[in-house]
Amino acid sequence: MKIILTFFIFVSIIFASNKPDNCITCHKDTTPIDNFHPYSEFGCASCHGGNKDALDKQKAHKNMVLNPSRLEHANMFCGKCHKDIINRVDKSIMNDMHGVLDVLRFQFHETKTIQKTQGIKDLKNIPTNKQSLAEDHFSKLCAACHINQDEKIFKNSSYTPRGGGCVDCHRVEDVKKLGVKNNKLKLKHPKLSTKIPSKNCLKCHNRSNRIGLSYFGKFESEGYGTPYKNGKLTNKIDKGRYYYELPADIHHTSAKLDCIDCHTEVGVMGDGKHHAHMEDAVDISCKDCHDAKFKDASKFGLSAMLSAVNGSVSFAQKVAITSKKQTPLYNLQKNGEKIEFFRKIDGKKFDITKMSDKEYHKSKNHQRLDCTACHSSWIPSCYGCHEVYLKNGKQYDWIKHKATKGKWMELRSYLRYESPALAVGYNEKIMPTAPGCQVITSIYDKDVTNDGFHSFAYAAWDPHTTQKQSRSCDDCHFNPMSLGLGEGILDMKKDKIVFQPFYQSQKSGMPISYPIDALVSKEGKQFQSFSRQKARGFNQKEVKKIVEVYKCIVCHNTWDDKIYKDFKTSKKMFYDKKTSCSKEILND
Amino acid sequence: MIKVLFLLIPLFLFGNECIKCHPNKMEQCKKSNHFTLKNSINITRKVWGIKNSDVTLQTLPQSKLKIQSLKDLVDDFLRRKCLKCHLTSKTINKTDNLCLACHNSHTNKYDAKKAIPTQAKCLKCHNNNFIGTDYLGLFPHDFDKAYRSPITKDGKYPPRPYGIDFHHLNADIHYELGMSCIDCHKNNKNKKWEENISCKSCHKNLSQQNHKEYHNKLSCNACHSAWSISSYELNVLRDDTPNYKQWSRLKVQEDKYLEKFLKKALKSKQQIKPIMLDWIDEKLKDGIWYSGYRFRRWENFFLVNSDDGKIKIAQPRFQYRISYKNKDGKMILDDVYKQNGSKIEAFLPKEPHTITKQSKSCQMCHENKIMFDKNLIYKGMLKGKVLKGSPLTKEQLDKMQSNRYKLERAKSLF
Repeated sequence: MKIILTFFIFVSIIFASNKPDNCITCHKDTTPIDNFHPYSEFGCASCHGGNKDALDKQKAHKNMVLNPSRLEHANMFCGKCHKDIINRVDKSIMNDMHGVLDVLRFQFHETKTIQKTQGIKDLKNIPTNKQSLAEDHFSKLCAACHINQDEKIFKNSSYTPRGGGCVDCHRVEDVKKLGVKNNKLKLKHPKLSTKIPSKNCLKCHNRSNRIGLSYFGKFESEGYGTPYKNGKLTNKIDKGRYYYELPADIHHTSAKLDCIDCHTEVGVMGDGKHHAHMEDAVDISCKDCHDAKFKDASKFGLSAMLSAVNGSVSFAQKVAITSKKQTPLYNLQKNGEKIEFFRKIDGKKFDITKMSDKEYHKSKNHQRLDCTACHSSWIPSCYGCHEVYLKNGKQYDWIKHKATKGKWMELRSYLRYESPALAVGYNEKIMPTAPGCQVITSIYDKDVTNDGFHSFAYAAWDPHTTQKQSRSCDDCHFNPMSLGLGEGILDMKKDKIVFQPFYQSQKSGMPISYPIDALVSKEGKQFQSFSRQKARGFNQKEVKKIVEVYKCIVCHNTWDDKIYKDFKTSKKMFYDKKTSCSKEILND
Repeated sequence: MIKVLFLLIPLFLFGNECIKCHPNKMEQCKKSNHFTLKNSINITRKVWGIKNSDVTLQTLPQSKLKIQSLKDLVDDFLRRKCLKCHLTSKTINKTDNLCLACHNSHTNKYDAKKAIPTQAKCLKCHNNNFIGTDYLGLFPHDFDKAYRSPITKDGKYPPRPYGIDFHHLNADIHYELGMSCIDCHKNNKNKKWEENISCKSCHKNLSQQNHKEYHNKLSCNACHSAWSISSYELNVLRDDTPNYKQWSRLKVQEDKYLEKFLKKALKSKQQIKPIMLDWIDEKLKDGIWYSGYRFRRWENFFLVNSDDGKIKIAQPRFQYRISYKNKDGKMILDDVYKQNGSKIEAFLPKEPHTITKQSKSCQMCHENKIMFDKNLIYKGMLKGKVLKGSPLTKEQLDKMQSNRYKLERAKSLF
């Protein structure tokens, strides 16, 4: 309470000189924005500009800004108080999407390494005919989603409006005209909040790696729109896209957590650095909650501020901090000896499961595993992305906001979600992966058709399909899909790995000599690339080492089995024929 | 030229010309499942709730005009959605001669070889989901127009035999070696052609090492087939109203008639009446049958006991979800997938024709996540009835994960 009061006094001092705006002469019954921007303190003009002293509509509205939260205005208006945030947001990937463009250029063989650009900001001034293929692809298919997109362009479209600056995320109720009474327009002002509902995030995060869908147990399907209900296709995402239900993330099923319950203010809005990739921007990691480190909250003004603004999560002296950027998790608190987690949207309290210190988490053999490698139950995988480019076609450009020359069509081979392939991810830890992206292009120019280029890549990410129950031992140690070999028959005969893949890429018309779902060969040859420097599929030594363990797993298929306490010694004992089973097995 | 015409005349004019030399064949043919399609018809009717169904293509009742239940609808479904392929169908055999559906014509005993059914003839029907195209390594694409891929080198959509886009998986080793259907499925006077064939009739000397006693009950195919086609949840809808717009991305439903119809209906400014062919009497009748799956897979399988005493691979195929919308737009049946408390589904023991030299590895069955219901994603999905067989018993499943298995498996690995 004290903090809120201090905050209000602070605000009042800044705006103390403001006389009440004359705007209310006409806009008398406008509904409040939130608890923190009362009209009595801020008036209207401090956010919207215009001439607050005028009584005439035309004069009053001169130089007024309808949406001050668009980033080109925000510095002038929101920036009076939130300058730091606006500077950070300006550099974030959600604003200019540079990460997407940079990877695309690399994947389209236009740059040899990933080079940081300014994304959308760079492309604004390049005429269409001067754009490279990757840039044109980006403008036509990717650039619809960024927080400063112009909301008006979504009129009469089946897509959810996106963009608008700060309000893209922070608006929880839209603006509405409630009618005109006595010549006075009654407005429902957009309600702003830091309790951002997940549906705001989902406006954009439903494509590409589809985290926003997967978390809620939705898998973008093959497009059948089944089951049919009332004679109609069901389970629609948007135009031509459908889903079916799979097990949702445990954080959703057990506690209905929203995106913001994990993702921090700094992780989402940026830390002021111009990061190359999303994973560098993200702040949170599993261990930050499940093996939390606490700090005195008084060291972070931010923690107090955030819980004050949230209103449902009360302030605590000891809060958890993220390991990556050392920012406070104000909703994970230590009160006495008790560790309590609060849901941000309503302040509901949850006990948090501490990561167990059992053998499977402690073992040296599994230290390279990211939590997601075992705990992700499925991953949306889209094989074969066939990009068709019609040079003389026309398509809407999401940056220039008009149809320009060049049209893209996307075709695909098939979808899967079972047994995510494992590989060394961007953080050099072992993570689930899926195709991202396997590009084959066909370029049409007048009536000539050309062979385009192809570029097959995988990507590692946290699929947000976490389950408490991890994958079984054999699901990783002897499953060709998990090893990155692709679907097929895997066997081992006298220490030799044999593998018969199923998919015949060349016969299926692909320009590649390996199965489409093979990231590596059993000899560790890397068939497909990654768009991150450190990421790669398993090498020969790793494949062999992983499969080797399966020999023991056949009988010893639980982690509490004593042979895993000291696996090295156990193995030695086995080969020295000092164990009960070794005599029988090795003598044969 | 004149000679050729002269030779062809009898075939086109007199459908029974063949009988002159092969007097018994027609009788034999008329008893065969190829002619009566008894199996497919009665299985479907049974799954949809008709008890003791025993009809043939020739005695299958006409579609009912008033439909109130699944039983009323099933014959219409069969006539207009399933039974596209039969020996007397105009799409399969353009002549009046029944024999020519499978055989090519020949004129005397010296060119009799010409009449041997070619693989292409068999595949005219056996081209989807069941046995047939799997022998060639083909697996159907999904329906949505995004799956018309990849574009060929000359910039065209990929070729679509039988109206279906295909993935190429590894083909059957017998196909790779140049054998066609008829090399195994030979004619034998004493037996029905279906019962005619077994692996052992050719592969007489099996190595003892891998063919141990405890695997005696397995069909060869259970281990030696690489992959099989599983279709999860076949959703079917008969819509008697002109509601085409929602199918604009789903025009290809492995049915050339429907594809052509939808193309026309979606383009036309006038409203086109929803009519579809009855494949048996070849008349156009009210309503369109649409279909779609939940998903299809080639990598999953599970084992069941077959009535012939063997353990075989089961294919999920008949997991129906059924809807019917009548002319007035009323839903008579709306996504019905249960009947008398149990799901409208059944699994059939099958022998996928996807033999590879390398047989399945032990854990693919013994630690099969679907069979042991351990896979979170497929949990409980495949618990349906088994037709012409029964699910593996608890005893059998326990045996598969017994210590004996573990020991034998470990021995094979070290």
